[in-house]
Amino acid sequence: MTELGKTEALPIVRRRAGEITPTLRYVAIVSVIAVISGFIALVAGGYWLSNFTQAYCFVLALTGCALLYGQLGLVSLCQWALVGVGAWISLRFYHFVHPPFFVTILVGGVGASAIGMIWGLPALRMRGLYLALVTLMLAGAFQTLITVTSFPVGGPGFLGQVGASGNDRVPMARPIYASSDTAYFLFVAFVTILCIILVEAHRRSKPGRAWALIRKNEQMAQASGVRVVFYKAWAFALSGFLAGVAGALLAGLFGQLDAGNFAPTDSIVIFIGTLLGGVDVWLGAFLGGILTRFIPALLIDFNVNAYVGLVFFGAALMLALRDPVGIGGLLTALAERLYAKFQARRGS
Amino acid sequence: MIKIESLTVQFGGVRPLDALEGEFTAPICGLIGPNGAGKTTLLNVLSGFVTPVKGSVALNDIALRGLSPTRRVAAGLRRTFQQELVVDELTARENIQAIADHISASRQDARDEIARALGFVELTGRADVLGRQLNLYERRMIEIAKTLIGRPKAILLDEPGAGLNESETDRLRRLLMQIPERFGAQLVLIDHDADLIASVCIETMVLDFGKLLAFGPTRSVLDDPVVRRAYLGTM
Repeated sequence: MTELGKTEALPIVRRRAGEITPTLRYVAIVSVIAVISGFIALVAGGYWLSNFTQAYCFVLALTGCALLYGQLGLVSLCQWALVGVGAWISLRFYHFVHPPFFVTILVGGVGASAIGMIWGLPALRMRGLYLALVTLMLAGAFQTLITVTSFPVGGPGFLGQVGASGNDRVPMARPIYASSDTAYFLFVAFVTILCIILVEAHRRSKPGRAWALIRKNEQMAQASGVRVVFYKAWAFALSGFLAGVAGALLAGLFGQLDAGNFAPTDSIVIFIGTLLGGVDVWLGAFLGGILTRFIPALLIDFNVNAYVGLVFFGAALMLALRDPVGIGGLLTALAERLYAKFQARRGS
Repeated sequence: MIKIESLTVQFGGVRPLDALEGEFTAPICGLIGPNGAGKTTLLNVLSGFVTPVKGSVALNDIALRGLSPTRRVAAGLRRTFQQELVVDELTARENIQAIADHISASRQDARDEIARALGFVELTGRADVLGRQLNLYERRMIEIAKTLIGRPKAILLDEPGAGLNESETDRLRRLLMQIPERFGAQLVLIDHDADLIASVCIETMVLDFGKLLAFGPTRSVLDDPVVRRAYLGTM
């Protein structure tokens, strides 16, 4: 009865003038980040270069957060704790094996990805406020745990701690090709580009479509053949991977990490930054991440208590809730309009 | 062929379906009844969202009991929902591709099936339009197109004509009547529009308070005085 051979005429795919093709989007990702990073590498040094490197780690964490919230509507408030998990795993692995740096990054990413998937389990049953609370408690639990165990510094045993004097601490070495601060910053920028492209490729293909159906209606997604649990777990794994990579990059930046840098408030600030930047476009997490690191850094530079930053983010959240596309969304819409206009003029 | 045997569903003290028996054999079947009669509950049992306390359902002699909703999709069952659920951020084509991703045999099959489904609902020219820019009729058509992917065996449509005007309902009717022959699938249609049911359904099942009120050739079922009293009111 089915006549698959007798297909109706294939649809004519006509490109609109100024349409943003996937290739064009990838070109935009690479060129925007490369130009900005190149400029920073030329101009910034010392304190600010270190802050920009950290900002890119925030960008990775925010990209994962935006993925969960934008694609699935899931509020995760443990993203910065996952960065800590990735950092711990990569430091632990580094001090055991002394592998090439990119292997350390991958191990940190994969490790945090597995933990992120486990932490995401509550999301199979709950969402909204309840999921937010559970993930926030996980972030709190991580802080407690890491305060007790601290990050490995090359000592003996599984925890890798050294004596109270701390004189035998071994920092994690950066790769030979990126040992200077500027080279390391460019290396982090390169990894950031790769990770953003990885997420973008997901969003524009099979998993992205499955996530879109799940967000719309889980029953409808199931009735469309989507294995909801699998695709939710995949989103958490990917988001955890990005956080883990960010953790490994942070560990490489400082050589060793302090438990005090992984407070649950940072995870909340990351979520606010995610909303502020916008969750539907890659540029949102990029700009949001830079802002999230930058406002506290500026405050420190002006000798203002960094907690004032929390007040700023609270106020910014009001704005973000009023305009859900975020700064990234606004800029992207503007860029698309300009591009369409440019193409139309060139066509006529 | 959809077979229902002594099907009972219980939610607390309520029995949305009570010892329901029946077998849909005609290529296009109707399922009608007043609000709360159990029509959507029956669809939910068939698609695996509601587990019955007793009884069984089968699709072409495959017992569906214990199969997850996604397994049932793989077995050839398709459905739409009462409210339309086209994703705003995906294009018309991507909305259809989202189901093809999981059930088409290969990428080439997926492309062919999507093109064929879009052509069938006459939306080929709107393939690259975002969901949010489609009108209600187009959205309903996209939902039907989704059910035509991957060699469906049975398609359950929950009020596909809701909110459509007269000329749109005419187009819908014309398309529905072609589905069994062109796609080899059996169609089960829930709708409140008695004219639509009368004009496309060969057999019709009438439910009332979870019980079978009548089942048989559509015309005689609709003319049955018992059905008219329960469903259509006094006429």
